[in-house]
Amino acid sequence: MNPIIALIVACAIASATSVGLAQDQTNTDKFVSKEDYLKLKEDHDKLKQELDALKSQIQEVLKKTASPESEAVKAQMQDLQKKELARQAETDQALDDLEKQVKTAKQMAKDSFPGSTKMLIGGYGSATFTATSSGYGPAQPLPPDDRNGHNFFTATLNPFLLWKLSDRLLFEGELELELEGSETSTALEMAQMSYLVNDYITVGAGKFLNPMDYFVERQHMAWVNKLPDKPLAVYDGLLAESLLGLQVRGAIPAGPTKFGYAFYIANAPSLNVDTNDLGLGTFEFDNFDNLGNHVAVGGRIGFYPLPELEIGYGFQFAGVGPSGTDVNANFHSVDLSYVRELAWMKGAINLHAQWVWSLVDRPSASSLPGLQFPNDRDGGYVQLAYRPTKIEIPFLSNLEPVLRYDVVDQRKTPVGFDEHRWTVGLDYWLSPSTVAKLAYEWDRQNGSGENGRAFMLQFAVGF
Amino acid sequence: MKQKLTWFFAATSSIGLAILALAIAGCSTAALSKGGNADESGKPAVAVAKPARTGGAELWGRNCGHCHNIRSPASYSDAQWEVVMLHMRVRANLTADEHKEILAFLKSAH
Repeated sequence: MNPIIALIVACAIASATSVGLAQDQTNTDKFVSKEDYLKLKEDHDKLKQELDALKSQIQEVLKKTASPESEAVKAQMQDLQKKELARQAETDQALDDLEKQVKTAKQMAKDSFPGSTKMLIGGYGSATFTATSSGYGPAQPLPPDDRNGHNFFTATLNPFLLWKLSDRLLFEGELELELEGSETSTALEMAQMSYLVNDYITVGAGKFLNPMDYFVERQHMAWVNKLPDKPLAVYDGLLAESLLGLQVRGAIPAGPTKFGYAFYIANAPSLNVDTNDLGLGTFEFDNFDNLGNHVAVGGRIGFYPLPELEIGYGFQFAGVGPSGTDVNANFHSVDLSYVRELAWMKGAINLHAQWVWSLVDRPSASSLPGLQFPNDRDGGYVQLAYRPTKIEIPFLSNLEPVLRYDVVDQRKTPVGFDEHRWTVGLDYWLSPSTVAKLAYEWDRQNGSGENGRAFMLQFAVGF
Repeated sequence: MKQKLTWFFAATSSIGLAILALAIAGCSTAALSKGGNADESGKPAVAVAKPARTGGAELWGRNCGHCHNIRSPASYSDAQWEVVMLHMRVRANLTADEHKEILAFLKSAH
């Protein structure tokens, strides 16, 4: 027999034998003996019991250890958070209290400065250098005796006292001290008590600035007036600067705008009837002795058709002649002011204008024969200023060029001329209430008057 | 001519005064009805509470700047501003609302 064939046959016989043996073994596993079964069951039950016991032990351990500790930790955490929040709130409160205390202390320190509680001392002052040519001599309303050109200095100080006695009661007092040449003059500019009756009415008594004269009330202060000198006619000219009496004033809202008003009863001016005096027919406004025994009644109403525009009309009626005569004078004033910042002009324009009339009755020839002439005078001014507030170069934005025209007409009176002035000026604002002013003025006097020019330099401060 | 002018001004001012008197009477009544007159309560004579049409800052710039350069709110303390604003209310004919609004602004701005 071929050995290979013999080998194959041997393998086949061996395979068949092993399959038969395997089958025999399989058949044997299908059947377990009862003893084996019982033993296995016993083992199974035992293992099950051990597993259950283990499970219960784990549960007990978990209950005993894990749960109480986590609750305690939670509670502790919450407690800590609460404490932290409370501490934070306390800190915030302490900071707030500290801030309030600092603010109060700061305010107390400020309020402890002199004059800073119910009383305030303020005012304004100026120093002026003037150089004039021959012939210069403004008529306000009388021309000066000397028209020679000369250079001179003047200095003024106007301290004022404001005393707020209550929320309704205010006292205002102002002095005017002026050094001119070697003489210092002192005057009481105003001393007035004002009481706010309600939202619309304030009553005042004392010596007060003339309410009918817009320039006097609002513009004459050295740090407010944009030129070193004041316009003819409206200041120390054709109207009184101050009055002694009673006034009622206030403001009334009218939709988007408002009216301002002031009415007064005060001392009347005294008419000059001295036929040897160039001032014949003019007035002594500071007639506080009440010569002639007259009373003046007047007022002003201002209206704002636009927020930037105010127009006003003022008037005064008074008997002005000496006792026993019947001479009345009527004074009128119209004014306009327009102040507005314009983006396209990169600055603010400031326009003020006022015109006044002084109209005096002609007395009978028998009572005052020297006053048989038309004793009417008028005059006023227009002033325009521009400040480039929107230009971001401080030097330029502090500059303010000013142009003014003012006039007084007295040609028909004994003074005998009318006067026209052009003034150009340049202001430099060192602060909102401190200014250096430079101005040049041309003064033209018709009729019997003369012509002149003046150069002025002024420093003014409001405090 | 002078007489005509005098009569014209006299007539104009008389009409103006009449209108103003009516306006004052009307406004005073309104103020009383709103409790604006504080005589009886003794409270300060401040504005009748009304919503401001414009803010205090705008009123401050407009009213004060109409006559002079406006000063910084830091120029004065609160107490000083109260005195100054009472003075300016009288001098510049500020309304009660304007006074109140401007003062509130000045106090808050420094």
